[in-house]
Amino acid sequence: MKASAQLATEEIILNMGPQHPSTHGVYRAVLTLDGETVVGVQNVLGYLHRGLEKLAEDRTYTQFIPYTDRLDYLAAMLNNLGYVQAVEKLMDIQVPERAEYLRVIMAELSRIASHYVMVASMALDLSGWTAWFPPFRDREKILDLFEMACGSRLTLSYMRIGGVAADIPPEFVPALQRFLQELPRGLEEINGLATGNEIFQARCRGVGKIDLETALAYGLTGPNLRACGLPFDLRKVRPYGIYDRFEFEVPTLDNGDAYDRFVIRLLEIEQSAKIIAQALRDLPEGPVLAKVPRVIKPPEGEVYHQIEGAKGILGFYVVSDGSPKPYRLHIHSPSFVNLGAFPVMAAGGTVQDAVATLASIDIVLGEVDR
Amino acid sequence: MFGQGLLRGLQITWHLAFGKAITEEYPERRPSLPPRSHGSFVLEGDKCRGCGVCANACPNHVISIDTRRGEDKKRHLAKFTMKLGQCLFCGLCVENCPSDALHFKPDFELACYRFEDTIHVLFEDKAGAPEQVADEE
Repeated sequence: MKASAQLATEEIILNMGPQHPSTHGVYRAVLTLDGETVVGVQNVLGYLHRGLEKLAEDRTYTQFIPYTDRLDYLAAMLNNLGYVQAVEKLMDIQVPERAEYLRVIMAELSRIASHYVMVASMALDLSGWTAWFPPFRDREKILDLFEMACGSRLTLSYMRIGGVAADIPPEFVPALQRFLQELPRGLEEINGLATGNEIFQARCRGVGKIDLETALAYGLTGPNLRACGLPFDLRKVRPYGIYDRFEFEVPTLDNGDAYDRFVIRLLEIEQSAKIIAQALRDLPEGPVLAKVPRVIKPPEGEVYHQIEGAKGILGFYVVSDGSPKPYRLHIHSPSFVNLGAFPVMAAGGTVQDAVATLASIDIVLGEVDR
Repeated sequence: MFGQGLLRGLQITWHLAFGKAITEEYPERRPSLPPRSHGSFVLEGDKCRGCGVCANACPNHVISIDTRRGEDKKRHLAKFTMKLGQCLFCGLCVENCPSDALHFKPDFELACYRFEDTIHVLFEDKAGAPEQVADEE
């Protein structure tokens, strides 16, 4: 027996984060390494905790809308939507048709913007510098559209309880149509720069694999679950708002690895664009805000409402005691749940695989820590 | 063939490198922002009645309003202050203003060196001392 084989080896602990470019925010992963191989991961969270749920108890129902922007700040419209629909469910408010269509358009634009950031940052994490630019260039167009409609680019606060804050300006529709026209060309560029690139594929094919059973056991939702082969999308299986009126597919892939989680985002962007085109075609005229009382005072009771966020199922649990402020608000955030499966996905790979895996899960720390 | 994807990527990079520039050289070139843009606030002092609806709508206690009684016994605005350091720029104040006095303007350059400069006085009537205070509370 050779001398080297008899040497006792030890595992080492490596701290990744909280300040690390590939953790996409202030998140710390304590990696246990056996040589280059990751044998254990411990998630350490809470660096971005702002106590949003507690803050809600001291704000009126309307005043909490700007705070929902700061959950998943890459898809603020979807957070707005989930929250206002929860309160509307509690108060039984009928939202005007035009507002419903505008909400769908904005929500899907937000989903596209969020997926663009995931695609870009994952490429960047794998040193694909050029592939960073086309998604961010196209996301910029979406942010411009948002700015046109509601004045802000990132923290939008566009939705209101009973509708939306303002009608879209006349120049919005042509700009949106132009964006939808240019979208396939942008996707083609991303596919050429990242998806079809052999180095990129070598870095993420078969990396961070998770099978459907484990994914379900860990409660994965959204694109991460659909990349394991289950066509589960709340917009289809339990439509909220007016999603049952649109025709779209729920793309799925089978491998459940980092590559599939990347590709599924690109496929979902196409489907979202399809929904926006239909909503734009059917967009009715009319008011954009229902007649709601100036002071929102839901009746005593509780409600739980879920929507399909950009990262998975986003739920809002609101308890009302009949006063103008929520008695309790709880946010079920998809990133938090998805991050729980990271130790399973990362185990067995190398450190650079862990980076690819974390990027493919697409977490936003604003939502993880709340 | 292995490497085909790489070549395709290089081709796209080549086109992007010689394509039209998509970034703007700030501050030499200024962006033309849409009129709704949440850049900064402007108050029409003659329209504002000092009712304090905006201060109550604000989620973060940004606005404080001082009013005084005029000779006609009506309430007049004396001072309108915004602590922009804690402003979320959500627009709930602008939206709730009943007399349409508070607006956004796209002028976004608010950076300053000292914290005191983040407190903006949008209106001040130096004629009389404030008598009644309608604060955010």
